[in-house]
Amino acid sequence: MATEHEIYLGYSTDKAVTPFFKQFLESLEKNKLMKGVCPKCKKEYLPPRQYCQKDLTECQLVEFTEREAKLYSFVIVDFAPESMASRAPYVVAIGEFPSGRRLTAHITNLTSEPQVGMKLKLGFERVSDKMVTYKWQV
Amino acid sequence: MTRRVAVVAGGHAKFGKRYDATLRELCAEAYKPIYDAGITQDRIDATVLSYAASQFTGQGAGSALMADSIGLQEKPHLRCESACATGTASIRAAYGMVASGLYDVMLVLGAEQMNRVSSATATEYMSRAGDMRWEYPFGISFPAFYALLASRYMAEYKMPHDVLAKISVKSHHYGAQNPKAHLPKEVTFEEANNAVPIARPLNLYDCSLITDGAAAVVLVAEPRVKEFTDQPMWIKGLGAGASEMMIQDRPSLTSIPGAKRAAAAAYKMAGLQPKDINMAEVHDCFSIAELVAYEDLGFAQPGKGRELIENKEVYHTGRIPVNCDGGLKSKGHPLGATGVSMTYEVMAQMRGKADKPSRQIKNVKYGLVHNVGQSGQFVNVIIYERGWS
Repeated sequence: MATEHEIYLGYSTDKAVTPFFKQFLESLEKNKLMKGVCPKCKKEYLPPRQYCQKDLTECQLVEFTEREAKLYSFVIVDFAPESMASRAPYVVAIGEFPSGRRLTAHITNLTSEPQVGMKLKLGFERVSDKMVTYKWQV
Repeated sequence: MTRRVAVVAGGHAKFGKRYDATLRELCAEAYKPIYDAGITQDRIDATVLSYAASQFTGQGAGSALMADSIGLQEKPHLRCESACATGTASIRAAYGMVASGLYDVMLVLGAEQMNRVSSATATEYMSRAGDMRWEYPFGISFPAFYALLASRYMAEYKMPHDVLAKISVKSHHYGAQNPKAHLPKEVTFEEANNAVPIARPLNLYDCSLITDGAAAVVLVAEPRVKEFTDQPMWIKGLGAGASEMMIQDRPSLTSIPGAKRAAAAAYKMAGLQPKDINMAEVHDCFSIAELVAYEDLGFAQPGKGRELIENKEVYHTGRIPVNCDGGLKSKGHPLGATGVSMTYEVMAQMRGKADKPSRQIKNVKYGLVHNVGQSGQFVNVIIYERGWS
């Protein structure tokens, strides 16, 4: 768990902040989204993971620079888990980048019902003193 | 040594909001019909306890409590856990131990008591079956995972929500005829299509129930089956499959890849094809899950599953009857009991013991069970064969 500067991801957080994850979060505070790249087999992970799934080599954090995506799928959560009840309804979306990489986050500025295939842009948000996130915007 | 294994007996507690019972009483209810049929504790070598989530009751070592509740506290027992597929994972584990010769007679007892917490808390606990680091912080509830499948499916195949509502109508039609069901009532198409939203595009009637319940079956090795019954239900084939932990990493959201893998393995082991199956119990935790199951199990081509419900081919007199006990949707979904309950239902149908003629499927030779954990991370498919003419 982070001590001197606590930061967590998202809105309802997992507090297991490892050194690897903390590095990811510190980049996110600077509006940088990091992917994981295996130096051995070059497999990429978005979001990142510390160890490569294929060969268990330690991955490096490398900035992910794509910003535009298309809506692959979505859900409007009306009845939320207890920890998210105050935010409902909210929209969770899987966006697909041109590279084929996908990312799951909220869409925060919709004015009408989401449509599969619609354009999305990646954004960043300081949710609270301790929480930071990536998000989708239309 | 590999021996053939049969299901020889079963028992089923009433599913529902069981404020009148604890895990102990639910287990006793499920085992009592088996005991009354003469399969007393001394005839059982060991038990697999199917119990998915201790957080609902707060009961640690729940499997020990379950065994103790029915007088099997001195016999070997272990707990299996594969989220919502825990029941069939337990049957799979017992099958392995019986087929291998470790035991001759095993009880599989599944139970869950989910209504000791509020619906919001239960929804919170189940959301933690998503990836705690990357999915949980975005509040993806259990229905939300399946809504992600539904949104994609509806967009790719240009399918309206009406089709899902028709599945819910069927589930409740049969649940209304099942005295063990949690919510035994009919719903109209209008009610099912226009219910309060839960995780759009899914509404209340697209979602299964938060249920308390228990079910049990007895597995026996071939050399000893005749000691127990002249109506054995053989395990003809079983397959297990798995899928990526994070739903965004799946190659497609119009099917569950682990279900396809499990089905292929089960059909191969059984030497059967989808057209040979006479009935199926599928994991309809959500209406979209039943639709996708039609396709993953090979009963319909991709994108064509809707024809089965629209043409009523999945009703009890149709080509491939599905969930004629009400399914998870109306019968209920007590996580650890669900896969065991599905197996119980196949046996009841094979024996002509469905509760009412209006849900009795005729002449079942091969019955299939399809049980999915979380959004597809674990899937078991089991094909049962009627062992008498």
